Amino acid sequence: MKHLIFLWLLVLLPCQFAGAHHVLGRPTYSLNEDSNTPPSMQVETQIGAYFVSYMAFPAFPKPNEAGRVSVYATRLDDGTPFEGEITFSVRDDGWLDNWHPSRKEVLGVQRPNDNTHRQGFIFKEEGDYIITAEFEAGGEPYLIDFPLRIGEPLSVGPLGIAVGVIAAILIGVNLVQKKRLPRAEKRSGRAGA
Amino acid sequence: MIYCSADGSFIMTHPGLPESWGLAILALMLLTLVWAVRAPLAASGMGRPVLRLPLIGNRVWAAGPGIRLALKLVTVSLFLLVIAAGLFGTPIPERNLASVLTWNLWWSGLVFSIFFLGSAWCAVCPWDALAQWLVRRKIGGRAEPNNSLNLRVPRGLRGVWPAMGLLVGLTWLELGLGITLDPYATALLALLIVVLATASLAVFRRKAFCRYFCPVGRTVGAYSQLAAVELRPIDADLCARCETLDCHHGNAIVEPCPTGLVMGRLQQNTYCTSCGNCAQSCPHGNIAWRLRPPGIEAEQGARPQWDEAVFMLALLALTALHGLSMMPFWEDWMRDLARVIGDSGRLPWSFSLGLLACLAAVAGVYALMAAATRRLTPSRLPFKRYLATFAFAALPLAFAYHMAHNLNHLVRESAGVSRVVQNPLGTSALPFSMAEKQIRHMNMLTWQDTIFALQAGLLVLGFLVAVRIVRQRGAALLEAERAGQGWRLFPMLLFAAGMSGFNLWLLMQPMLMRL
Repeated sequence: MKHLIFLWLLVLLPCQFAGAHHVLGRPTYSLNEDSNTPPSMQVETQIGAYFVSYMAFPAFPKPNEAGRVSVYATRLDDGTPFEGEITFSVRDDGWLDNWHPSRKEVLGVQRPNDNTHRQGFIFKEEGDYIITAEFEAGGEPYLIDFPLRIGEPLSVGPLGIAVGVIAAILIGVNLVQKKRLPRAEKRSGRAGA
Repeated sequence: MIYCSADGSFIMTHPGLPESWGLAILALMLLTLVWAVRAPLAASGMGRPVLRLPLIGNRVWAAGPGIRLALKLVTVSLFLLVIAAGLFGTPIPERNLASVLTWNLWWSGLVFSIFFLGSAWCAVCPWDALAQWLVRRKIGGRAEPNNSLNLRVPRGLRGVWPAMGLLVGLTWLELGLGITLDPYATALLALLIVVLATASLAVFRRKAFCRYFCPVGRTVGAYSQLAAVELRPIDADLCARCETLDCHHGNAIVEPCPTGLVMGRLQQNTYCTSCGNCAQSCPHGNIAWRLRPPGIEAEQGARPQWDEAVFMLALLALTALHGLSMMPFWEDWMRDLARVIGDSGRLPWSFSLGLLACLAAVAGVYALMAAATRRLTPSRLPFKRYLATFAFAALPLAFAYHMAHNLNHLVRESAGVSRVVQNPLGTSALPFSMAEKQIRHMNMLTWQDTIFALQAGLLVLGFLVAVRIVRQRGAALLEAERAGQGWRLFPMLLFAAGMSGFNLWLLMQPMLMRL
C-alpha cells in the first residue's frame, strides 16, 4: 500500500508541476529529429522496486486525434523489465478532482511488446486528464499517475481564485474600517472633551 | 558537455572550472589563511571613504515619483505578462516567457543587481506595486491610510523568521519540485505572492510583507549589506538635530518609510527598500546615494541580530544546495536515498531530507567552529553573541558563490531569449531539438575563459571579504579582553576557508543546464 503515496503525490500537487532536471517525475518535451513527427512528452519516475519511463505521443494531442502512451518499467536492482500486465485508466484532472476524484474509465489492459506496454487513446473533449498505469508486482499494487492535456483548455481557475481572494480581503477590510473609524472618532472626541 | 546518467539517458552539462584555476584559487586561499592567522588583529577598522552620486541620488530617486512610477509600470507589465504566459502559454519551459524571464533572467540576474544597486529592485518590485495600488488605491503620492487595518505584526512574526521559512519553501519548490521548468506553476507562484503582499498590506501597518515576510526582499536586504552603494544622510549632524523625522513619518504628499527606518540612525541596508521616500520627504534634501567599500557594513556597521544571523547561514546553506543539486550525481544520491526510505514519484521526502541535511550541516559546522573560537578566547561573552557576530562572514561566501553559480545560468542559458520575447506564450513552438541545445550551449554571451575568470575572481573576493569580517568582528569582540591575536580566530577562519573550498569544488564540477 505504500506505493499509493505516489497517487496522492500527484493528486494533491497540481499535476502540471514539472520536476527540475534532477528530480524524477518531470515532464520533458522532445523532438524526434529523424522524422517530421510532432514532439513527444516523457516522464521518468521511481516507485517501489521499479524505475518507470512514460511517454505520450503526441505531447499535445487534440480532441479526436489518435495518440498513445507507452510505459517501460524496469527493476531498480537488476534492470529486469516488468513482464506482467498493466491496466491503463483515465480520469479528469480538475481542481475539484483533488478532493472528489471523478469516475475512472479503463482504457485497456496491455501486455508488453518489446518490453514496452503501449496503450492507444482518442479523446473527444478538451481538458486536463490523469492517465493511471496500474500493475501488481511482488504482491504489491503499483499505481502511477501521469498528466495528459488534450487541446488547450483555459486556465482561468487560478486567476479567478486570486482575484476573488484579493477582492474578498479588500471588501472585508473596508467593511471593518467602516465600523472602526466612527468608533475611533467618537473615542478621540470624548478624550478631547 | 553531454553526461550519461546512471539510467543511460543523456544530460547536457556546463563545464566546471578547470583544475588549474581551482589549484590557483586554493593556493591563494591558503596563503590568505596563513596571513590571517599570523597577522595581529587591528582593533580599528578602515575609514568610511564615501562618494556622493548626485546623478542617481538627486535626479532619479529624490526628484519625484515619476521615474520610479515609470519603472514600476514596466515591471508590473512584465509581471502580468509572465502570469498570462504561464497560465495560457505552452508548457514547454524553454519556449515560455514565464519560465525564461522569471528563472533564467530575473532570478539569476537579481543577485548581480544587488552588488551594484543594493536593494533597488525592491523599489520597483511588481508585487509591492500591485499590492499598493490595490489596497491604497493611489498610483503615486501619499495614500489614505484608512484603507488598511494598520494592525501591528504579531510579536512572534517580527524578525526574519517568516521570510526564512518562505525562502526554504521557495527553494523546495525550485529545486525539489522543479517549478523552474513549469511555466504554469511559475504563474501560480506569482499569483500567490501578489495575494500575500496584498493581504499583508491590507491588514498590517506600513509594509510588513517587505519587512518581515518577503523571501526575495529579505535575501536582497541581507546581500545588500555587501552592496557598493547606500542611501544615507549627506550630513549626519543635520539628521541628529532633526526634530520632524520626515524620513520616518513622511509628509503631506510623501509616504512614510515603508519599513519604519529613521535615516539618522541607519547603520545597515538590510531593511531599506530603496523606495526613496526619505530622499523626497527630507526638508533639507539631506539624503543621497553614496558609493562605499562593499564589505564595510558587514565588517563594522551592521549590528549582530540572532534572527538575521540564522538567515545569513541559511543563505549560505541554500546557495550550496543550489550548486549541489545541479551536479549530475545528485539525482543518483536522491534515488539511492529514496530506495532506503521507500520514497516514490518525484522523491519529495528524499529531497526534503537532503535540504534539511544541507541546512543542518552548515549550521552544525558553523556552531562547532564558533564554539571552538570561544574556547580559544578568554572572553566570557555569551555563546549566542559569538554565533550572531561571526555569521556576517557567511554573507560574502554565500553572495560570491551565488553570483558565480548564476553566471553559468545567465551567460550560458540566456542565448535565444529574443525568440521567447517575440512569442511570449510559445504558441505553436516546438521543444528545443538537440541541435538547438548544442547551438545555445556554444553561443554564450561571452567567452568561456571570461566566465572562468569572473567565477574565480568572485570566489576569491568572497573569501577575502569573509576573512576581513572574521578579523574585524573578532577584533571588536576580543578588544575588551586584550587578546587580539589572529590565531584565536582560527576556527572561524577555517570555517570560511572550508565553505569557500566546498564552493570551489562545486564550481569545478560539470553543472546541469536548467532549461
